[in-house]
Amino acid sequence: MATIWAVARQMISEGIRMKIALVFLVLLGLVVVGLPFSIAGDSSLTGAVQSFMSYSFTAVSFLLAILTIFLSRSLSDELVNRQILLVMTKPVPRWKYVLGKWLGITVLNAVFLASAGLIVYGMVYYLKAHHPALEEGFDKQQLEHEVLVARHATKYQVPDFKREAELEYERNLEQGVYDDRPDFDKKHEIERLQKVLSARWQIVPPLGTRLFEFKNILVDRSEGHYIQFQYKSNVTRPPPDEILRAVFRFGNPYKGAVVRDVKVRHRVDRWQTIRVPADVVAPDNTLAVQFFNQNPYPNEPQSNNIFEIRKSDDISVLFVVGSFGWNMVRLLCLIMCKLMFLAAVAILMTTVFSFPVACLGAFTVYVLAAGQSFILDGLDQMSNDYATMFSSLSEFFLQSTMHLLKLVGYILPNFARYDAVETFVNGHNVGLVWVLQAILEVGLLKTGIVLGLAVLLFHRREVAEVSV
Amino acid sequence: MVQHALPVVQTAGLCKNFMDFWRRPRVQAVKDLDLEIRPGEIFGLLGPNGSGKTTTIKMLLGLLYPSRGRISIFGKAPTDVAVKNRIGFLPEESYLYRFLVAHETLDYYGRLFRLPKRVRRDRADRLLDMVGLTHEAKRPIGEYSKGMARRIGLAQALINDPEFLILDEPTAGLDPIGSRQIKDVIRDLGRKGKTILLSSHVLSDVEDVCDRVTILYGGQQRAIGEVSELLRETDITQMTMPQLSWETVEQIRQIVERLEHKDILEVTNPRVKLEEFFLRIVEEAQAANIYTHGAGRAGATPEFLQKSTEEITTDEVVDSLVHAADRKTEVLPVAPALEPPRRAEPARDVVTELLGEKEQEPEAPAPEEAPPQAEPEEERRRAAPAADRNVIDNLLGSPGGDSDKTDTNKPDDE
Repeated sequence: MATIWAVARQMISEGIRMKIALVFLVLLGLVVVGLPFSIAGDSSLTGAVQSFMSYSFTAVSFLLAILTIFLSRSLSDELVNRQILLVMTKPVPRWKYVLGKWLGITVLNAVFLASAGLIVYGMVYYLKAHHPALEEGFDKQQLEHEVLVARHATKYQVPDFKREAELEYERNLEQGVYDDRPDFDKKHEIERLQKVLSARWQIVPPLGTRLFEFKNILVDRSEGHYIQFQYKSNVTRPPPDEILRAVFRFGNPYKGAVVRDVKVRHRVDRWQTIRVPADVVAPDNTLAVQFFNQNPYPNEPQSNNIFEIRKSDDISVLFVVGSFGWNMVRLLCLIMCKLMFLAAVAILMTTVFSFPVACLGAFTVYVLAAGQSFILDGLDQMSNDYATMFSSLSEFFLQSTMHLLKLVGYILPNFARYDAVETFVNGHNVGLVWVLQAILEVGLLKTGIVLGLAVLLFHRREVAEVSV
Repeated sequence: MVQHALPVVQTAGLCKNFMDFWRRPRVQAVKDLDLEIRPGEIFGLLGPNGSGKTTTIKMLLGLLYPSRGRISIFGKAPTDVAVKNRIGFLPEESYLYRFLVAHETLDYYGRLFRLPKRVRRDRADRLLDMVGLTHEAKRPIGEYSKGMARRIGLAQALINDPEFLILDEPTAGLDPIGSRQIKDVIRDLGRKGKTILLSSHVLSDVEDVCDRVTILYGGQQRAIGEVSELLRETDITQMTMPQLSWETVEQIRQIVERLEHKDILEVTNPRVKLEEFFLRIVEEAQAANIYTHGAGRAGATPEFLQKSTEEITTDEVVDSLVHAADRKTEVLPVAPALEPPRRAEPARDVVTELLGEKEQEPEAPAPEEAPPQAEPEEERRRAAPAADRNVIDNLLGSPGGDSDKTDTNKPDDE
């Protein structure tokens, strides 16, 4: 361990003294500190903070990824400039040397990332204190409750009406509805009924009502705690004043929950959040929310909105499960796992190739890992049937390349699966399970495999070999 | 000195072919090399450029893999990691980290040997003092001159107090002071029982310090043996004695002519080596405290390098020096059998009468506290066998010459 740490220390010294690292640090500082001031005056406080955090963390991730690839140059330089000869003649097993280099890069990344995190944290609170908010009180409240928190979202499962469709089908059958249609298909009929019932449910006519039920709302129901109900105020035809007036009733009195009615005046076709005391959740952690499509304001114009519930827009209940600070720590952990993997890839490349080629290779892997879903989907669409693979040489070449890329895609971690910036920026909880999954799959397993391969290749390498 | 059972280095049929990109053999750098380096000897590896010296060294250290053949270092394969604890290596170029300062460099290598912190720091200080770079210790290595970098290279090779030291061109880029110092360090270490492999183009350095040498050419071994034996000219007799008057010389010439019917080939005052002269001038300048940049006055060999594993006492060292020839005869069967001086062409009567029976090797004087500054008399004292003055007196009928030589000998033909 002491040997690994000795190599890591040397890597860290070199990294700090490398001019390129300084350049990146300056860039990082400019981005993180300069960004808030360039977007400060454009929008609401919440919007400004969210944009700032989103851009900052994306930029930090990207810059540190590039820096990681550059830092791996150290190993390549030692091979080319022969400092490796003075290291490999010491009692240092090759695997410890590779691991030490990786550890050095990882420690540097951790320090830079943590520093960036601290600066972002500081800038967020600075913005909160100094930004000219458009609606002062509301904006700050919104920031506090919807961004600077870690909320868990329980989504409403839109019913598929399969059982209801089957029942309807049985009823129709009994009533002889299908007697004069000898060639109909039961499966298709049930599907049709499903669609009809579903469509009917999704439309809430004026004066209509809908009930949403949620389970596992594990929130503290005592005073001072809240839940948030989030929905999208869709209507089929926007009224002249573009306002949806309705009532939401929270709480099921039969289950021991407190009932609260919330009147809303919401702009249509926007995401809306309603904050309610947590005592509307029943002791069995269920929550009933009833929507009344009727105007609760007698003096305001009636607008006969037809409320739409779209499957693509999630109706959810959110509740605070953690703090903003720790949420950021978990986000940084996810970013760190990706950087650890990338460091391993960069080290692997430099044990085999010269630095420029290694750089390109590592960057290609980064792009593949980051855009994996996108690339795989595209390849799926582009690739033809297997049967045509041997029809011509070009077809064979094209298809084999695509299948190879797909295979590589499966081996690489999918960075998009562990991209938590948007989650974090929207005040949602970056789950611990998610982080543990990232640590296990990316940080340990796949990084370990790549480092193992690097050690294997480095073992076989004659470090004093001259190649031009 | 303790005799280890195993040779420190042994190779059998060692070959190395360098391939091109398409894996075709392009250069056969080493061919069927059978090498053996015994414990406690200073072994010289010589050969012209491209003869395979550095390739051999790199294979011994596991930096290159042999194409064929076997290597063992302390009985283990070169890729064995634990064996590296006992080896120190100074490569032909000082491949150091340009951005680290001297202390950090030695600290890093010390850490790789897992030396405890205090030992590391202490040894680093002492080694920097030994190589005369204490005052330059805070500058990055990248700013050092080649000679200074070489000295740090030597320091890192000694940080672990190695049993086996491999030096590839150790005096390259060093001024004569540095070269002398390295040779003194090599001799000191040799005396302490360390094994040293020295590869150098500076033949005089190799001649000065090595016990045995081998000469490579085209990757093959062309000659091997003890320096004294390989270089001995068996058909010439050389005598060294204090300054004689011309009349005495003439009488000796007549004796030789009468007894051997041969003429003396040359009578001259031997020359001081340029190295000796140079060092004396530098010492005088140092004594006058004249300022200089670069490497400063070097310190003594550090104590941790002075301690041998067998804890040889000073007396034992002196003893071993005195009986060096006997010891070497036992240890080195490869050298051609020593022909008794009697068998040499010139009649032995005169020589035995003048010189006596003792077979002596030129050796450096013993005292451990001797500073690395050269003494002009050293060379002469080394070369001079312990002549029996009484014999000469009898021969010449007058008291012998002055035994305290100064270096102001006038050449004969002045």
